[in-house]
Amino acid sequence: MPFATPLALLGLLFLPAVIAMYLLKLRRDEAVVPSTLLWTRLVADVEANAPWQRLRHSLLLLLQLLLVIALALLAARPFLERPAGLARDIVLVMDTSASMSATDVVPDRLTAAKQVAIEALKDLPTGGKVSVIAADRSARIVVNESNDLSRVRQAIEGIPVTQSRGDLGDALELASKLAARSGDAQVLVATDAALATTPTGKVAAPVKVLTVGRERKNQAIVALAVRTSPSAVTRSVFTSVANLDLDSAARRLELWGDDRLLEVRDVHLDPQARSDVLIDDLPKGVGTVEVRLVGADPAVVAAPDQLPVDDRAWAVVPPDRTRLVLVVGSGDPYLETALSYLPDVELYGVTPAEYGPKTERTDGRPWDLVVFESFLPATLPKTPVLAISPPTSSPLGDVSGTLKDPGIGTLDPDEPVLRFVDLSTTHIAEAAKLTTPSWARTIIPGPRGAPLLYSGTHDGVNQAVLAFEPRRSDLPLQVAFPILLANLTGELLGSSTAPTEAVAPGTPVQLVIPSGAKGLTVTRPDGTTTELVPTTTAGTSAAVTFAGTDQLGIYTVTPMVDPAASSRPSGSGAPSGSAPSATPAGTARPLASTGASEAPVVVDPLAPVRFAVDLFDVGESTIAPGSAAAIVALGTQPGASPAPGASGVGGAGSPATERPTTRDELWVPIVLAVLAFLCVEWALYHRDGLVKLRRTIGERLGRSGAGPATG
Amino acid sequence: MTERSSLADGASPPAAAGTRPVFLPSEVDPTVFDEAFLRQLERLLLLMRSPVRGGLKGGRRSVKRGQSVEFADYREYALGDDLRQLDWNVYARLERLFVKLFVEEEDVTVTLLLDASMSMAKGTPSKLVFAKRAAAALGYIGLASEDRVTVSALTGRTARRRAALRGSGRVFRLLADLSAIEAADGPTDLLAAARHAAAQLHGRGVVVLLSDLLDPAADRVIRELAATGSELIVLHVLSPEELDPQLEGDLRLVDTETEERVDITADLATIDAYKARLADWMGAFADLAARRRASYVDLASDQNLAELMFAELRRRRVLG
Repeated sequence: MPFATPLALLGLLFLPAVIAMYLLKLRRDEAVVPSTLLWTRLVADVEANAPWQRLRHSLLLLLQLLLVIALALLAARPFLERPAGLARDIVLVMDTSASMSATDVVPDRLTAAKQVAIEALKDLPTGGKVSVIAADRSARIVVNESNDLSRVRQAIEGIPVTQSRGDLGDALELASKLAARSGDAQVLVATDAALATTPTGKVAAPVKVLTVGRERKNQAIVALAVRTSPSAVTRSVFTSVANLDLDSAARRLELWGDDRLLEVRDVHLDPQARSDVLIDDLPKGVGTVEVRLVGADPAVVAAPDQLPVDDRAWAVVPPDRTRLVLVVGSGDPYLETALSYLPDVELYGVTPAEYGPKTERTDGRPWDLVVFESFLPATLPKTPVLAISPPTSSPLGDVSGTLKDPGIGTLDPDEPVLRFVDLSTTHIAEAAKLTTPSWARTIIPGPRGAPLLYSGTHDGVNQAVLAFEPRRSDLPLQVAFPILLANLTGELLGSSTAPTEAVAPGTPVQLVIPSGAKGLTVTRPDGTTTELVPTTTAGTSAAVTFAGTDQLGIYTVTPMVDPAASSRPSGSGAPSGSAPSATPAGTARPLASTGASEAPVVVDPLAPVRFAVDLFDVGESTIAPGSAAAIVALGTQPGASPAPGASGVGGAGSPATERPTTRDELWVPIVLAVLAFLCVEWALYHRDGLVKLRRTIGERLGRSGAGPATG
Repeated sequence: MTERSSLADGASPPAAAGTRPVFLPSEVDPTVFDEAFLRQLERLLLLMRSPVRGGLKGGRRSVKRGQSVEFADYREYALGDDLRQLDWNVYARLERLFVKLFVEEEDVTVTLLLDASMSMAKGTPSKLVFAKRAAAALGYIGLASEDRVTVSALTGRTARRRAALRGSGRVFRLLADLSAIEAADGPTDLLAAARHAAAQLHGRGVVVLLSDLLDPAADRVIRELAATGSELIVLHVLSPEELDPQLEGDLRLVDTETEERVDITADLATIDAYKARLADWMGAFADLAARRRASYVDLASDQNLAELMFAELRRRRVLG
């Protein structure tokens, strides 16, 4: 039997030491007795005077010798060698997507996958290395090329399940790159193979799939939205529930508003079908709603299906707030029409000649947005401004001429203002030639770097400049126009301080820091908070990215008030009151009003806002275990196509010439033997006490048994 | 007589244990006896298994027919018989001469053989102290029964016999004799000492041996004392430590007399074996005593002496 550390067998030298100590242990306590007459007649004790006879009868000594032998063996680490079942370099991909929290295996799929993976790693060859990748929305390396299996096991045990959509393709690509570094690599994928999208990229190593999961019993909330009705009076909650099981299911849908149960609906779900539930008349004052999918029987508290994570969804009720928009211009019907369709907007208009102090509102509330159409005042208001075709240079930008038939440059697909905006067929007749200021970002680039639309935060105020009049283009005739205007005014109005739509878990969100705040505090659903403070105070840094959206639920974004900043825009900073007027809007004439008909609510820009993170992923909710063959097929068999950068020429790791072996260390039976020896030795040492205890119990039992008979 | 009457009427309050009663002579060890115990002993008599022949008349029946008032039997008149003993009433009915026989009452000698070997000084409480108290109690009973009582200490190879005492008035002399007995310094040959004591016996009587019998020839001691013709009572005194040893671990036992050393490992099995051996050993003595028509009583030195006198010895029919 081979030993990993044979030098430890030197510990057997303690055997003679133990025997010597036993022999030398002849010193006895003397006890004076009246006579030794009776003692000398006890044969066994007489024999005990001879050391070797005592050795022969001493079971304790034998046990102690066995203990020394077992401990020496334990330190020498004996092992058995057998052919390894895995390559020398293993890249383990652990699927941690939401579907891995399914409970069809006890306790859940991820735990089962960890056990399967740890079990599989026992086939790792001696000296083999393991890398571990956790795969959820993105792939991350947990352990990189470690041959310390205990550390690998610890790392695997510590991988948490996520509530986000899994992207196994990303993880396999990373695993392929890691595997390519070695000539004898193998990729293990521990997954339920319930993949929303099957990865397609090839992996430069053989792939082995460790599949977990058995069943597919799951119903999920796949959509939740709170919408204002066309009458702008009530709100409705729209919920879509999908049954991803092959059997029909009866479920109960609970609607909670601000942690109060509002309504319960029973839902019958056909197999593999969706069911939409519309709940009207959401009570006023409700800030957030939560929808829970529970079992049809309220007495049963157990989870109704095998994936609880998609049985709850949250949504933020859009706040009741009316935006005041002032258009200063000659009156572009396209522009006014588009603005009038914006929700919750009161639209007012004045001519450039009328614009002045008299247009300030007398109710103390500033304009939420002022649109200057081919006009700029000498002094810009301290409110968000959209300047359309500015005629002259101003703090909003320098005008250096006119562009005729400017073409539209390459658009940034990630630009939020251009979301759902198609400008591919837009033609512009004439535009002002501008230069993008340092505080702004170009949204629509024009010819030779001249922007056609840019936006940014200047002096703490959101401002944007559109270089052309809409009516000088065919943009107003396209569906892109109202969308662009809605996105642009949304950014200027600051309505997108937090996302209004549900955010997918793990997705970074852009949070706008309002004027007067130095940063944001984000409170996650579990109560933990994150402070987001931009590193620079330049005008373009008024938005921060928050990536910690890995939990499902409601996130609260609270602006951190900067005491050094100017007073709130709604405060006395606005030049109000200089021209008191009988109408709240001074001389401005109302053009249109949408949204709630109630009195306008004074909106505090520093008030906390909320956003919801929901799974809403049918792919992840479909927990039916998939086929491992598709993933295995991505792998490359050794020798079929050499991995790029592989160094498997000649070296000890050449799988074709030498089959690696693995060791099974025999410490478990030795430890059990040591424990057994210790127990027996203890029992022997205390055998007198045990016998006395047994006698005492026997006597008491005998007494108690005899008592009633004699009585 | 003042001392005797004070013991008899119990006028004085009993002295506390360990304190000297006011009437005790200085030679008597006050830790051995107290007044109340002495009074209780007066009520006891030695119970003899059978009448014994004695030199003096006493309170005990003799096998000889004599001049006492207690009728025993008739026998036919023979020439030379005392005519005063003829029963004329029988002659009138049967016309034959019969002589009335009466039980002759004699006194007997109670010999208390006290083993004073070094081993008897051991134990808690000391076996020798216990044996002295038991001997004093038995001796006092003998004195109260008008028997002759003599004490003999077995030490070395001899028996140191004290003068015989008679009458309950000699009780303090008895106690003083017992108090003077000390444990031997060297080894004791119990058989030789017992033989010496047997040679000092005058006729048949009662011999009480108080010993721990921790001697290889203890059985021969019993055999030879029983062969003297006296009634033998063996009070086998062992200490609680000898009856139930509280030993534990690897020990070297040292014999207090011979200084012989024995190494033992005192575990439960050893103690059990010792107890079994002890029981066999004591059983052998009991069997031997029964075969020799002797009484054998095993005693523990922590036994209550009053209980011993009033219950244990009466139960064993040693006392009446």
